Amino acid sequence: MEPFLRCGPLSARDGEGRVLFEDQELRLHAGGVTVLEGPSGSGKSTLLRLVSGLVPARGVRRELQGRAHGRASLPRWRSVVTLMAQDAPVLPGSLRWNLEFPYGLRNAAGRSFDEGRAREILEAVGLGGIAMERGAGTLSGGERHRLALARALLWDPPVLLADEPFSGLDPDMAFRCAELLVEHAARPDRAVLAVLHDPSLGMGRARRLRLAGGRLEAA
Amino acid sequence: MSEALIHLTPLDLAVATLLVVAAAGLSIVLGLGIERRLGIAALRTVVQLGLLGLVLERVFAVRKPVFVLAMLGAMIFFAGREAVARSTRRYPGIWMDAWFTMAASCLVVGGVVTQVVVGVEPWYDPQYVIPLLGMILGNSLNGISLALERLLEHLHSRAHEVELFLAFGATRSEALSEPLRTALRTGLIPVVNAMTAAGLVSLPGMMTGQILAGAPPLQAVAYQVVVMFMLAAANAMGSILITFGAARRLVAPDGSLRPGRLQEVGGRGRRRRGV
Repeated sequence: MEPFLRCGPLSARDGEGRVLFEDQELRLHAGGVTVLEGPSGSGKSTLLRLVSGLVPARGVRRELQGRAHGRASLPRWRSVVTLMAQDAPVLPGSLRWNLEFPYGLRNAAGRSFDEGRAREILEAVGLGGIAMERGAGTLSGGERHRLALARALLWDPPVLLADEPFSGLDPDMAFRCAELLVEHAARPDRAVLAVLHDPSLGMGRARRLRLAGGRLEAA
Repeated sequence: MSEALIHLTPLDLAVATLLVVAAAGLSIVLGLGIERRLGIAALRTVVQLGLLGLVLERVFAVRKPVFVLAMLGAMIFFAGREAVARSTRRYPGIWMDAWFTMAASCLVVGGVVTQVVVGVEPWYDPQYVIPLLGMILGNSLNGISLALERLLEHLHSRAHEVELFLAFGATRSEALSEPLRTALRTGLIPVVNAMTAAGLVSLPGMMTGQILAGAPPLQAVAYQVVVMFMLAAANAMGSILITFGAARRLVAPDGSLRPGRLQEVGGRGRRRRGV
């Protein structure tokens, strides 16, 4: 079966120049979460960032649903293969601005911010009690992670690359957010690749990839 | 205007020296411990300005375009060097960017002022060209180094915000719009402040000089207005050139950040911000 997303060859080195992995190819299938496992320091975050094209790399071929995206269209690629970076970055400004800003970009291609849907999702991640006008800088670490998840779910890209999306959440909340992500990914035209602090969390039926010893393989 | 000019003699300068000596004496009496630095600074003023005076006398006397251009070249070189020296962060190519920025803003704005507004005859007349372009360099240096410092600081400490924009599909210019705007605003603050306070809080230095030299006050005002507008233009143009240059080198066209290119160095940014 033709994969939903195909990206490679992927190679990376660590800060000291040692090879983390070389000439690996990522294939993701639609309709579900794929958990990326591997020992710490094996380059899981780097792999996600390479796929999204946020770190410079040469000769990487990126294909979504059989359609290739060249280097020139990397911004367009990122709007459909979106990275939720580690540590849940937020913008200074309100919660609303943090959810709304992607819709002002050229690559939003006419999509507009749906406030009603935004409220639903905030409710679902347990941020429903917080005013949309509140400054995002006042949120706690766990709330920031939930805001980042809400932003990603609202943006609803075909592929979501989630780097430790549930870190800093208490077990109940983490489980609730994991369910949301699984539900989001279950549709036939969606895929999620997630690096998880606790890979067992709510991901019983997920596909698994393992990055270890420089190789990316099905686990 | 020369009949009003009072010539300063070596004796006058010696009397003025007493003022610095008095300041140093105060430092010793109060135990401020600044007398040594004051002495060195005073000596540097005399030596540096003395040398400049000698060079200017020579350049004015010869009145050849090649000397004027050589002097401008040296001034641009030192201005670019100072802009980089003030920055607490560096990236590969920062020297070229600083020199290009200094040369372009100084030559374009200075060119318009000397050739079109003032209409200097001949075009290279050192009496006008050198002080005017020198003022542009010295003043826009402030704005340029502030803007550069602000942008590099933003790309360092707020890189995750820029990346967040990129991660959701922003193009390079969209992701850099906020950092560039903040940096440009910062770069323009000194000249906007100077224009706002002109004549109320401070009597601008050049106007003061012209009045001392016997120029009619309204003529001095006219020159000062030209100079202020010239400095505003040079600061704006210089800030734009340096920030766009730096951004172009630190973020790839496809919008991948190159944070590894940004290196922290000592810099003299905090200490030297005076005019």
